[in-house]
Amino acid sequence: MIVCVAVVGHQNNPLYIQSFTDADDALKLHHIVHCSLDVVDERVNNPKKSGPTLNETFLGLLYPTENYKVYGYLTNTKVKFILVTTDLDVRDADVRNFFRRFHAAYVDAVSNPFHVPGKKITSKTFAETVSTIVKSFGLSSAG
Amino acid sequence: MAREVSESCVDSLLTEMVSTYCNRFYANKPDLAARSIEAIGYQVGHQLSERYTMDRPRFSDHLEAIKFICKDFWSELFKKQIDNLKTNHRGTFVLQDSQFRWLSRVSVDLSENGDVSQDNPEATAENKAAQVTSMHLYFPCGIIRGALSNLGIPCAVSADISNLPACELLALFAN
Repeated sequence: MIVCVAVVGHQNNPLYIQSFTDADDALKLHHIVHCSLDVVDERVNNPKKSGPTLNETFLGLLYPTENYKVYGYLTNTKVKFILVTTDLDVRDADVRNFFRRFHAAYVDAVSNPFHVPGKKITSKTFAETVSTIVKSFGLSSAG
Repeated sequence: MAREVSESCVDSLLTEMVSTYCNRFYANKPDLAARSIEAIGYQVGHQLSERYTMDRPRFSDHLEAIKFICKDFWSELFKKQIDNLKTNHRGTFVLQDSQFRWLSRVSVDLSENGDVSQDNPEATAENKAAQVTSMHLYFPCGIIRGALSNLGIPCAVSADISNLPACELLALFAN
């Protein structure tokens, strides 16, 4: 289950952060997202030659914690997407697929002429799309 | 889901936008009109670059980003690639398009300026034509600047139209 997704701007400013848990642990999840930004920077500045193809947008597993796995994605425009999940055996393809759909939703949201670049995404449509994508995450592998 | 837009609509919209800003909103302030049009282009470029770079790996340097602008971005906008790209390797790039689509049908109505002096009508007409055309170039300049800035390359873009319908765009990086 995905517990948190976040969009972070190129100056590490939060553009959208949403947790999907009933428990009151938003702060903890925000902290995890915050920590993951350092890992993203590290990945980008010292790309591993052996790892996934150089300069791919999908950054893979950023770091595992005791209860969560954190995945990252960096667009060409230096916007970061962070995904925090509780599933411990996640298939890479699922995560890639999630990020692809999430990216499409993000592009649609920022293409709104009323959206101010660099400001938080307040679009309701975006929030709805994201929650649909989050709900459908991992279903393909289960079914 | 590829959505298409009629080319004549885009042409008309561009012409109408330029004329509205030049003749109605800022009739006596061409500088202000130019800046407003450029700002619109900037936003458009900003958003387009977000969309067109979606399925691409990240660019490793400026040259790659410029190449993307010349090839893919240009084909999306104008259905053709840039004809010539020159650089001095110090942050200046010259993009040449020998048949710039948005200017290919520009003509100037000379009957409008009947009040100009008759001493040198040819030179005035030419001058006027250049002025009108350059107004139409602020929008594409803004688009390129918006796209490059969004890709992390702050720059200044200007256009040169000494021999229509060829067009030279000059992108200057602040690095």
